[in-house]
Amino acid sequence: MARRSSSLLRPGLLIGLALLAVQFVAIVFAPWIAPFSPIEANPLDSLQPPNLVHWLGTDELGMDIFSRIVFATRVNLLIGFAAVALSLAIGVPVGVLVGYYRGLGGALVMRFFDFIQSFPVFVLGMALVAVLGQEIWSVVIVLCMLFVPMFARIVRAEVLSLRERPFIAAARCSGANDFAIMFRHILPNAMTPVIVQVSVSIGMAILLTAGLSFIGAGVRLPSPEWGLMVSSGAQQMILGIWWVALFPGLAIVFSVLSFALLSDEAQRLADTARRKEGAR
Amino acid sequence: MSASPEAPVIALEGLTVGFGGAPVLDGIDLELRPREIFGVVGETGAGKSVLARAILGQLPPGGRIEAGRILLEGRPIDALDAPQAARYRGGRVALIGTNAKALLDPVARVGDQIGRVLRAHGKPDGRTDRRSVRDRAVALMREVGINDPERRARAYPHELSGGMAQRIVIAMALAGEPEVLLADDATLGLDATVQAQVLERLVERSRERGLSVLLITHDLGIVRHYCDRLAVMRGGRLVEVSEVSRFMAHPADGYSRDLLAAARARPALQPPRKSDDRPPIVDVRDLTMHFQVPGSPQPIRAVDGISFSVAPGETLALVGESGSGKTTAGQCLLRLLDNTDGRIVFDGRDITDMKEAAFRPLRRHMQMVFQEPYVALNPRRRVRDLLAEPLALVEPMTGAERGRRVAELLAAVNLDAAVADIRPGELTAGEQKRVGIARALATKPRFVVFDEPTTALDIRVRAQIIDLIRGLQSSMNLAALFITHDLNSVRSLAHRVAVMHLGKILEQGETRAIFESPREDYTRKLLAAELPIDAETSEPASAGSAA
Amino acid sequence: MPIREFWRRQPRLLRILAVRLALIVPQMFGVTLVAFLLIRLLPGDPARLILGNFATDESIALYRQKLGLDKDVWTQFAIYLDNVLHGDLGTSPFTSKPIIEDLADRAPATLELILYAVIFTVGLGILIAVVSVVRRGSAFDWGARAYGFAAGAIPDFWVALLLVFFLYTVLGWAPAPFGRMDLMLAPPPRITGFLTIDALFAGDWEAFRSAAGRLILPVATITIVNAGAVTKMTHSVFSEIWDAPFVAHMRACGVPERQIIRAALRNSLPPIISVSSFILGFLLGAAVLVETIFSWGGLGQYAVQAVINSDYAALQGFVLVASAFILIVYSIADILYEIVDPRIRT
Repeated sequence: MARRSSSLLRPGLLIGLALLAVQFVAIVFAPWIAPFSPIEANPLDSLQPPNLVHWLGTDELGMDIFSRIVFATRVNLLIGFAAVALSLAIGVPVGVLVGYYRGLGGALVMRFFDFIQSFPVFVLGMALVAVLGQEIWSVVIVLCMLFVPMFARIVRAEVLSLRERPFIAAARCSGANDFAIMFRHILPNAMTPVIVQVSVSIGMAILLTAGLSFIGAGVRLPSPEWGLMVSSGAQQMILGIWWVALFPGLAIVFSVLSFALLSDEAQRLADTARRKEGAR
Repeated sequence: MSASPEAPVIALEGLTVGFGGAPVLDGIDLELRPREIFGVVGETGAGKSVLARAILGQLPPGGRIEAGRILLEGRPIDALDAPQAARYRGGRVALIGTNAKALLDPVARVGDQIGRVLRAHGKPDGRTDRRSVRDRAVALMREVGINDPERRARAYPHELSGGMAQRIVIAMALAGEPEVLLADDATLGLDATVQAQVLERLVERSRERGLSVLLITHDLGIVRHYCDRLAVMRGGRLVEVSEVSRFMAHPADGYSRDLLAAARARPALQPPRKSDDRPPIVDVRDLTMHFQVPGSPQPIRAVDGISFSVAPGETLALVGESGSGKTTAGQCLLRLLDNTDGRIVFDGRDITDMKEAAFRPLRRHMQMVFQEPYVALNPRRRVRDLLAEPLALVEPMTGAERGRRVAELLAAVNLDAAVADIRPGELTAGEQKRVGIARALATKPRFVVFDEPTTALDIRVRAQIIDLIRGLQSSMNLAALFITHDLNSVRSLAHRVAVMHLGKILEQGETRAIFESPREDYTRKLLAAELPIDAETSEPASAGSAA
Repeated sequence: MPIREFWRRQPRLLRILAVRLALIVPQMFGVTLVAFLLIRLLPGDPARLILGNFATDESIALYRQKLGLDKDVWTQFAIYLDNVLHGDLGTSPFTSKPIIEDLADRAPATLELILYAVIFTVGLGILIAVVSVVRRGSAFDWGARAYGFAAGAIPDFWVALLLVFFLYTVLGWAPAPFGRMDLMLAPPPRITGFLTIDALFAGDWEAFRSAAGRLILPVATITIVNAGAVTKMTHSVFSEIWDAPFVAHMRACGVPERQIIRAALRNSLPPIISVSSFILGFLLGAAVLVETIFSWGGLGQYAVQAVINSDYAALQGFVLVASAFILIVYSIADILYEIVDPRIRT
């Protein structure tokens, strides 16, 4: 008990929450924080190093990097949240059903998931975005194709082990029907690894989105997006113009890190809870 | 076996071990003399295992010796020089732990695992070439009673039975040729007949080699049969140290007396019920349950054509060792498993092929108390919700009515009303067992299957649970199927007994008849493997030397 | 059951191999089907999509006939399958070469990169994890955990750019990020297609130095980013085993620590094999980014070009080959997994 209260003050969690708070401020107040428009080119100010006007410098088109980074928070986090929410909504029920009713249908669904997952992540993404068009929603769909099988698999693995536990048989004896067993008895016990994975997945989504945009298979210019911004500075980096690619990259690192820290904390809490349950 | 005046091999002087909070071992003084077998008895949480780990110098993380010292032949073990210290574990003092299967490396052949220990201690004679190590490992395996050791040495742990794995662990302990063995609940979880064989072999080898053994257990029967002296442990202290024979006759401490009384409890046998002509409430004919195993053409015949019936108000005990199929049979009765063949008739209705939805209304009349107290309760739900769930089977109820019923149920199993608001994880094993019983009784069923209601409980708690079931039985006029391997509880609860072995019922009859004049060899073996603490049957079962 | 009996008498290794090889066939079939459907699902006329916007009407009509577009979908798939089995993946309108040749030209570049990268990634990851578990609570352990954590958050393309900036532009220690070898040098005669190995065969030290030097930055990029994941995963597996009762028991029996580490590592092997194969498969996709930055000229860059040019035939070919490669890697991993874990029944 004493440990739980101290775990709330862990530095990892504090840093994670602080970074997350910064991102939410950026999302909500972007127009007031950013001194310049995120999408207006200004060729006269092209490639200025960080200075008092353009705090983080400007890119090739003369757009203010700081303003773009702030606005890009909206795009990147929107994609991440949307993809993970959609994948949860589909993947979790599918995982429960496939784990609970182990029939031919379930086996086929799992084969299909194996299949999708055996494609190289990036190539699948590129091909799909090429097919669906370079839109934010295409990227969301690509991410869902990766995350739905992942969540379904995690939930299914939990359900498979939970359904054999005696408390399920005991619930059946107490008159619970299949629906009650699946969603009242099994699901709450299966959610811990999913919750841990949610936060990790948002980070993964941000990284993948940035990667796709970097090679030109994601969000299109002039939309502010971190990966796209790094990409626009890639050519200059070798010439010693470092600010164009450096700062958006840092934004990615901090954003992904904040979600990783949260998930680590969730994992730690889950572990202590499990140890406590298992201690008896 | 009177105490010899020789110097002790191991001596503990005021040993105090803590994990930051209150000490787990509190000023333990103890002497282990040469060639003596010394029992340490206590209930869960008494600190028995920590004692063994402390002697071995291998405390769990966070634990440390706060006061006192451990002497090996008069010298403190922390003063041993490096080569002596390296020899200490395994070479002077060896540990035999609980749950042998978890103590073996799952991906290494057991012969090689014994070989690792032999190499570590330079046995035999400092030769570490493949050949002599292997020969020595095989010889050790033969010594602990493993048949065909050459072949078994090449087996992986998962291919061995629990008893066999335990023998390998004993062989590993003997491999370093230590002077002291610490056996920490070494036979916990093994079947009674296997337990007797393994213990017998362990004691025999120790006497032969002149070892001192610290036999840690919660079973006074084991101490009574194998030990010269004993210590009773409670809350990290030794409350009594005594010769075994003197202890059995006159335990000095109050707690020791309670423990002995609970272990000794042999209530009078249930009298045979007066036969009446009411039809049986449960009638089972040729019940069969086979499981298909992937990769094997032969199914596992868990239950292989058993027939029995239970009259209203009657308790039938289904007795057998693990793997006999008794739990499977109970699960078939409640339609938790779909039996392969045979008929099950409940209260005149054939329920064998009923669909779950059609059977659900009948569930209020037949209930089950599950084996493992903890895993049978959903860890995420409060006791209140767990007890209220079956009430939906009875009739619609208001929240207040439901609350009243929950309170009644808790009272019926002697639990505090405050328990309703906590989750199973915060209960003790005995309390969890009670919640399980209350849940089964919530719908006022007419027939209940009790699956191992007394296993994994400490002696005194076990006695309390038996009393509770006995009281409920008579007050509710329950018919029950009582699945167990604990013969003591059978004596106090069952009207009739059916002995099950490898999926079949070997014999059944009145409890007294089975206990006093068993017909089958297997039943006799089962009865003999029990280690009673009463003096009149002091000769231990000699099954061990036969295997 | 005589067949069953015969089967059970075969050595375990043989049974494992037979089952896995038998599984590869339907899986390959599935891979081909998906590659086929990828193009079919695109809106528009596949022939026009594949040949590009500048194709003449005749050539399109001819191509439609070749693909069997006037027939039903399954016939079309049969035609495609037949072509694939004969090694015909079509022709790219951009390189005007058979796609199979394009892919074969570029495959060694990618394979050389990701094989070295996997060796370093897995080796470093395991080493860090084992040391930090054995020295639990030490400064090394803390550093390793922080690294495992941060590495997962860093985009690989960004690391690559930083490495280029610091090690090439600023410090000038690393060779230029343009391709696999100095353009001024003649490449060694092609034997394996791996420049480092071919250079050694040819005894050409200068070529070897150049090829190995060019590998440093991309391999370092991949290792830095992915070794963290391997560390994290190995750490959790290895520390669980390190806390297992059997390890405590070995210690209680006086077995030396080195031996205990070996036994624990042996027990962690199955998940390590899975994660290594996963990393290898993942890198084939992830190398796309690194290849682009270092102008590597491998499969990944080819695929990016295909996407940018809407060269669907090339993309289809790449998806097919990449998936087949990953399938083979996973199958090998499965076989190894079953061999090292005696508990798996076969």
